Amino acid sequence: MQACRACGAGASLDAHFCPQCRTILPLVRRQTDYFTFFGLPRKLRIDAVDLEQRLRTLSRQFHPDYFYNAATAERRASLERSSYLNDAYRTLKSPVARVEYLLSLEGRAANGPEEASKQVPPALLEEVFALNEELDEVREMRASGAPAEEWRSRLERARQPIDAKREEHEQQLQELSARWDERGESDVLDALRDRVLERNYINNLLAGIERELSQ
Amino acid sequence: MAYSNKVIDHYENPRNVGSLSKEDPNVGTGLVGAPECGDVMKLQVKVNPATGVIDDAKFKTFGCGSAIASSSLATEWLKGKTVDEALAIKNTDIVSELSLPPVKIHCSVLAEDAIKAAISDYKKKQAATGKPAEKAAQPTA
Ligand code: FES
Repeated sequence: MQACRACGAGASLDAHFCPQCRTILPLVRRQTDYFTFFGLPRKLRIDAVDLEQRLRTLSRQFHPDYFYNAATAERRASLERSSYLNDAYRTLKSPVARVEYLLSLEGRAANGPEEASKQVPPALLEEVFALNEELDEVREMRASGAPAEEWRSRLERARQPIDAKREEHEQQLQELSARWDERGESDVLDALRDRVLERNYINNLLAGIERELSQ
Repeated sequence: MAYSNKVIDHYENPRNVGSLSKEDPNVGTGLVGAPECGDVMKLQVKVNPATGVIDDAKFKTFGCGSAIASSSLATEWLKGKTVDEALAIKNTDIVSELSLPPVKIHCSVLAEDAIKAAISDYKKKQAATGKPAEKAAQPTA
């Protein structure tokens, strides 16, 4: 509980406004989180339409224009709540950022790059490395004037396994998210973290292939 | 992003790019990656089994300029060092030599990890093969 500074009434820590006098309450970051701020449970499956509606309602309520003539503390609260709201929305809107955020909330984020690189299966690193080498060769082929069909078909072939992997990944992310939402088991979080760690490698590679193909 | 001159030099003229035979019992291979950016780095050392000195080092990095420079520098430093001296190389040494900014520290960590991984691979191989000289002397069927 916190006390409203305007009227002294008690308000719960996650309230945006005093329940008595409707004064906007100051934002205390360490007492809230993005889910709570939006009035959502700590779950991974979020309905995009619902999230956007909540965003609209809250941003109207916090809008600095309404607090133009208000006391300094209230003006500050409105600015802080508005900017926190935007950060929260950006994070929760993206399925991956949402997972990463949940992991950090639950204290399950990877501890620095050293630990992170050990959690990625060596086989994936091998595969990524081999595909990067392949990309390099294709670049050389192009540079030495090989016909477009030749290097294009090689690129297309190279992307197949990695495309498949990405799909598999998406699916696993969804399944794991569903499991977290239903049971909230913490070992699910570890599996989620591993998927998130593997993701950048896959996306990076695909981006490299796309770049070559679009040139 | 402003790179220091040393980074640019290593980036434009990387030393020791390439690979050594993975099958060679005296070669240790380290393959590491940085999940933040998805960059990967392979670093290999070839150790003289009689002296324990690193005779040769090669790398191949698919990543940012700082990662390439860090691994290029690492291979330069590794040559002529003993295995134990090599393990003493810290990512902070690389950071100061290349004047890497804070956002690029993980690139140097990648290089340190690669050195450690390569050496531990070498040690594992040595333990597994026993005495390579005797093995080589065995007649092939
Ligand atoms: S940005 Fe990832 S290794 Fe440099």
